[in-house]
Amino acid sequence: MSTVLEQIEQQIAKLSNKAVKKNTGTIRSVADGVAKIDGLSDVMYNEMVQFPGGATGLALNLEADEVGCVILGDVSQLKEGDEVYTTGKLLSVPVGKALLGRAVDALGNPVDGKGPIEAKETYPVERIAPGIIARKSVDQPLFTGIMAIDSMIPIGRGQRELIIGDRGTGKTTIAIDTIINQAKINKVGLASGDPSFRPVYSIYVAIGQKNSNIVRTISALEAAGALDYTIVVTAPAADNPANQYLAPYSGAAIGEWFMENGMDALIVYDDLSKHAVAYRQISLILKRPSGREAYPGDVFYLHSRLLERSARLDGKGSLTALPIIETLAGDVSAYIPTNVISITDGQIFLETDLFNQGIRPAVSVGLSVSRVGSAAQIKATKQVGGKLKGELAQFRELAAFAQFGSDLDAKTKAQLDRGARIVELFKQPQFNPLPIELQVAILFAMQQELFNDVAVGDIVAASASLKDYLIARKEALLTEIREAAKLDDALTAKLKTATEEWKQSYVTAAK
Amino acid sequence: MAAAPSKASQQLARQLFGLSLANGLVTAERVEGVLAYLEKHPPAQPLAVLEAYRRLVARELAKGELIVEHAGPIAEGILRSLEGAFTQKYKRQVTARSVHNASLIAGLRLHIGDDLYEASIAQQLSQLTVAA
Repeated sequence: MSTVLEQIEQQIAKLSNKAVKKNTGTIRSVADGVAKIDGLSDVMYNEMVQFPGGATGLALNLEADEVGCVILGDVSQLKEGDEVYTTGKLLSVPVGKALLGRAVDALGNPVDGKGPIEAKETYPVERIAPGIIARKSVDQPLFTGIMAIDSMIPIGRGQRELIIGDRGTGKTTIAIDTIINQAKINKVGLASGDPSFRPVYSIYVAIGQKNSNIVRTISALEAAGALDYTIVVTAPAADNPANQYLAPYSGAAIGEWFMENGMDALIVYDDLSKHAVAYRQISLILKRPSGREAYPGDVFYLHSRLLERSARLDGKGSLTALPIIETLAGDVSAYIPTNVISITDGQIFLETDLFNQGIRPAVSVGLSVSRVGSAAQIKATKQVGGKLKGELAQFRELAAFAQFGSDLDAKTKAQLDRGARIVELFKQPQFNPLPIELQVAILFAMQQELFNDVAVGDIVAASASLKDYLIARKEALLTEIREAAKLDDALTAKLKTATEEWKQSYVTAAK
Repeated sequence: MAAAPSKASQQLARQLFGLSLANGLVTAERVEGVLAYLEKHPPAQPLAVLEAYRRLVARELAKGELIVEHAGPIAEGILRSLEGAFTQKYKRQVTARSVHNASLIAGLRLHIGDDLYEASIAQQLSQLTVAA
């Protein structure tokens, strides 16, 4: 609607001979991407300011004698005494389906060399999060395709689930796997022609990353056929801190368009630690008072107002957020991690030790939690994996004790054996998400103790064999599980027969 | 780039600026008084204080001065009518000063304080360029 009004206003402006009023100021100083400006007495907070040479700025500090603006664009041409003026507009980015499959910068300009984006609408970068009346409880699942997560730490549409861990523990991989899984589900769902199917569109926001990493991520998405359902917002490490600060908000605005228009979207912020660092840099240059770890006082609000924009709206769509935080030496009690942990609806904690032991994804079951996701978990997963988290936690505890003694009773030994097999079963290669029906079948087989006589080292191969068997021979059964989303007596019997058939063929093949 | 004035210098400049106003307007006598005081009692950062003070006074004076940029000739009557209109609009005494600016091609550009009113051909051409 706002676009229509803007078009009419532009038409009026063309025909009008009236004088145009602008509020002006002059640059007093420019340094580190921040300009101090004299004048601009009518400027509003967060208003876009026009600089000479086409550069725009964002008014962030309104002081008694001057205005502090972060400059978005080329600062090399700006000098002291240049005239700037207010635009009366808030920073906006193009939104809509035209952005799917594209990589854009923090201002929504294409950076992938695929030509201009034909977006019909724009949304303001900063928006007030939906209030409590507009929201609805999270009760629809969002499958990540990662068995350890979907079975133990389920995520619902509209949830904010933090992915946290040290560097190189597979945080981005989990996010990319989730995006790839959405694309796979979208393809199957849209091909089925089911009118009630709701595709999930993904937005990946890369903040402060190396360009080579961003290219690798885009290539992985492209190779998996997921880019057509994904928008990549980039603010690489080489970009100025203002763009790195804005990128997540731009991504959120793009996601909000899907949510407001009755669609579901997933947004990944990779990562908010670097976002906080960029904001700290801007704040220090603007001479704002610094607090703990030199972050400004409003660093909590920086992330809370961003993540609160993810929601499930009544009668509309949803925006699910997967923010990523990088910890140092596993310290989750640092300033930014604790802030984001308290804002989100749960966290997936990845441990370096587990990663180095070859347990990938390296999800720490004890420290990971999903506060609202269980309401969104499908019944079939609950039926086959409801007790897994407890069993695994018990296994870790027993395993720690077992290190001190060799005499273990039969029950403890059995628990340890089972735990070791569950851990093996949850190992999954990267960029290879599993459909939920396959996850249910594999967990069902484990529940039926079909893996008990398989050596721990062979569990991964056995699970892959079961997967191949079901895909090749029991496609109808898998479709039935996916559509029913629960295991009734008839379906349980069918699944039992199918998994036992596989076991027989597996044992025969092993001999 | 000049070093940023300290908070204390800015505060002092603001206080001195307050002393320069009589009935809400900057007067020459008051400014002379302030300058004489500063000469007798120089502050810790005299240059920074004076520069900040100058900026505040200049900004205040600019609010009462209408700079009329024009490309062609402008009649004295138009200047006086502009003075009257802006005095009414800004609710303070405004005096007009004309400045010739050929780059406008035709029309006027009016500056008062931080506000800029533009009704020139050059501005309309630049708008068309942006739209294209």
